[in-house]
Amino acid sequence: MVDYLWNTQSPLQKALVPGRHGAAGAHAGVTLNEVRDIVLVQVMARRGKAAETGKAAKKLFGVEAPATPKAVIGKTATLIWSGPDQFTVIAPRTDEASQLAAMAQVFAGSASLSDQSDGRCLIRVSGPRGRDAIAKFSSLDLHDLAFPVGAAANTSVDHTAVNLWREANGADGHPVYNMLVFTSFSDSLWHTIVDSSLEYGVEAASARAA
Amino acid sequence: MRIACPFCGERENGEFTYLGDASPKRPNFAVDSGESPGGVEDAFYDYVYLRDNVAGYMREYWYHGGGCRSWLIAERNTVTHEFRSVTAAPGVGAAKPVQAGE
Ligand SMILES: [Zn+2]
Repeated sequence: MVDYLWNTQSPLQKALVPGRHGAAGAHAGVTLNEVRDIVLVQVMARRGKAAETGKAAKKLFGVEAPATPKAVIGKTATLIWSGPDQFTVIAPRTDEASQLAAMAQVFAGSASLSDQSDGRCLIRVSGPRGRDAIAKFSSLDLHDLAFPVGAAANTSVDHTAVNLWREANGADGHPVYNMLVFTSFSDSLWHTIVDSSLEYGVEAASARAA
Repeated sequence: MRIACPFCGERENGEFTYLGDASPKRPNFAVDSGESPGGVEDAFYDYVYLRDNVAGYMREYWYHGGGCRSWLIAERNTVTHEFRSVTAAPGVGAAKPVQAGE
């Protein structure tokens, strides 16, 4: 009889090898992070309740829910457009039960919520060549004019659904892209990103959401 | 080929799935010919099986499954593959109020 351990672990437990990979040089061209410990909730307005859902979001997060493909930073969470009258709420995990309870209370009657916290993996791509690495496997136009800070997209990468959004530039002044992917595909996406980044040199790590 | 989703913007066609002609309307027994069951049967036969083979602009259902997961109606030229318009199919999102009996 095998003893099972029901510990939670990252879907990138095997794929993520921390440290420097690919081209050598003083600075890695791409910085790749798995962002752990997130709370993720899909919010879908009910029929005829889009306006109420927007009001509820404003009440809890202090910002309007995005009505177009954008990521909006609220008080305690970021709201990412994920379809007409739908958005995803993402926050660093503090006290998951009370974070979910607060949302359940404020959206009661106006929207349906679906907890995706352990269903998706968040991968952050940054560094001076991060955009070049992504361009190899994404068909989105990531030019500053087409995809500025705050832009978001539901898209497909290698036939896999990915929510991609751009946050404020990093301390190095280069773009920072976030990619949400189903946990079961995260391994594959991670390898794709690493392979695309090798020629620029890539620094891989995991970090707690903040 | 790139398709301009009204929600997501222009995307590669690999993100979309084609369903077919958006013109056929499901026959309504009471409205169409409640007093003539044969008429309803003919209407259903048309609706399920018969399609026009259009050379030119056609209204089609497309599904943006690799993006916002919305059903869309596109006007596409079947000869040139030009897309004249792409709009949301009825019922997309939550904006539509609740219909009686829903
Ligand atoms: Zn779309």
